[in-house]
Amino acid sequence: MELKEVIKARTLEEVLDVLDEKGEKAKVIAGGTDLVIQLREGKVNPEVLVDISDVAELCFIKETGDFIEIGAATRFVNIKESPVIGKPFKGLQEAAGHVGSPQIRNLGTVGGNICNASPAADTVPALLALDAVAVIKSKQGTREMPLEDIYIDRGKVKLEPQEILYAVKFLKPQPGQGLGFVKLGLRKALAISTISLAVFVERGENEVIKNIRIGSGALSRFPVREREVEDFVKGKKMDNTVIEEAAEVFGQVLEKRLATRPPVEKDFKPYAIKGVFKEALNKAWQRTK
Amino acid sequence: MKKRGKGIACIFYGTGYGNGFPDVSRAYAELQPDGKVAIYTGATEVGQGAKTALSQIPAEVLGLTVDDIIFINEDTSITPDAGTAAATRQTYNTGNAIKMAAEELKKELINIAVKELGLNSDAGLEMKDGKIYLKILPDKCITLAQIAAKQSEPLRTFATFTAQTVQIDPETGQGAPYWPYTFSACAVEVEVDTETGQVEIIKAAHAQDVGRAINPKMIEGQMEGGFAMAMGYVLYEDLGLENGRIWNNKLSTYIIPTAMDMPEIQNIIVEDPESTAPYGAKGIGEPVMIPVGPAILNAIYDAVGVRMTEIPVTPMKLLQAIREKEKQGA
Repeated sequence: MELKEVIKARTLEEVLDVLDEKGEKAKVIAGGTDLVIQLREGKVNPEVLVDISDVAELCFIKETGDFIEIGAATRFVNIKESPVIGKPFKGLQEAAGHVGSPQIRNLGTVGGNICNASPAADTVPALLALDAVAVIKSKQGTREMPLEDIYIDRGKVKLEPQEILYAVKFLKPQPGQGLGFVKLGLRKALAISTISLAVFVERGENEVIKNIRIGSGALSRFPVREREVEDFVKGKKMDNTVIEEAAEVFGQVLEKRLATRPPVEKDFKPYAIKGVFKEALNKAWQRTK
Repeated sequence: MKKRGKGIACIFYGTGYGNGFPDVSRAYAELQPDGKVAIYTGATEVGQGAKTALSQIPAEVLGLTVDDIIFINEDTSITPDAGTAAATRQTYNTGNAIKMAAEELKKELINIAVKELGLNSDAGLEMKDGKIYLKILPDKCITLAQIAAKQSEPLRTFATFTAQTVQIDPETGQGAPYWPYTFSACAVEVEVDTETGQVEIIKAAHAQDVGRAINPKMIEGQMEGGFAMAMGYVLYEDLGLENGRIWNNKLSTYIIPTAMDMPEIQNIIVEDPESTAPYGAKGIGEPVMIPVGPAILNAIYDAVGVRMTEIPVTPMKLLQAIREKEKQGA
């Protein structure tokens, strides 16, 4: 297909109309920080591009009831600087702040980060750890699904051609909750994640880890929840022994998962994850106080 | 666990092509009708600041400002050969050629001034701000523009500088293959994460012998640039060569340091004028990079006790080496 048209949409309705009419021939573009490269490399060949970067209805961070909701076309810089997200969940803002460079953060959007389905997407592990829900819209209506379920494979998400990711939402922080995020890259800026990890914890009575959710990046074909490690930690009392043991468990999980991967992964990530996990968990725990 | 370590390294570096190889720079100095002076030389500006430093030298000789020097280079049809912008040789070699051509021009200008002003000798004649005047009687004065107007052909001088190097004895390896030498030292403090293999440079001090600092700000720039280059070389840069194919063929995968990765560097400029150099100035292009790498590797050793013998020291390689050492210790 040859690109014939770029539609600069101003309203969500306009976007949904185009998607409904063009279906697979259309592709949504927001910041374009991933898509433009894919277009240049000929990896995607849409006939129509629908630019949603100035659709105000898709750019917001707000509280709705018990949730914090972030519009899909919200830029990383806005997440990084938002007063709405709140200190316990600062990990999400740190994740947004780790994306690329200021130039990329001024353009790139959270919706693009999700739908591009890169294993190394920086904000997704944080959203997974927050148990975020994806809100999807089409002309036919609105549906929701756990963000975790949106991924099919590397680069593939469960969106119909007529649908658009409208927003992600997660429950507002409650007392005793915290989110930690750590990214390992080859340098401090403009670095693709080697490992990224977000840990959500809820402090119970007597320093018990009442709940824990771990979202990881660059450890699988797409960002995932690390349930084996979560199950090992949940309900235990937070102390150094538990942290060390959990880090060991995480290492073993990755040794198995990455056994057939190239040396840069299988000989590195199962070991490096221990330090990353401990740092992320400690950060999260500190934010519960 | 995060462990800190410190490392130092010192180097010396021989300027120029060396080992008896002819190392020649040439330059013209030419008086312009408006009294400015043009320098013609084949030296190439590759971002190192040659145009600036090599304009400052004739300005100093002729008592002019840098704005009065018209620097013409990188055009082989009108400039004489001044060798390559390589081997850290332009400031020293071409600087010398330009200085000699400018001094020759000054001599001619003074001789003309003696005649034009009807003086007995050149004693006490000053050349400054585009004028030649008698110090004890400043009214006795002629401008360079006035001198230029009296010439039927442009006043032009030429100089060649050939560096003194001697081929080493092929039997013993002894001799004086280079001149002059430049000295440099670097100290860095690193923090190594023993669990992720990441190396962070906390701070650094970097001392460079320059002979004479023609332009201190540019020297600092070269020192920071050399540090960044060495840091990338030692910690990040990897072509990913596999069966003759380069995998890391773009800057998203061929990692070089960003401003965010650079530590605070204390730059120390050491001035000890070199007698054969223009105003004592030696080149520093390559030397600024050389001690940084070994200083970083020494600091890593000091921090975690492993000797890394292959660069770049990626987190993976360092983590493997740390684990290997722990196994041996256990």
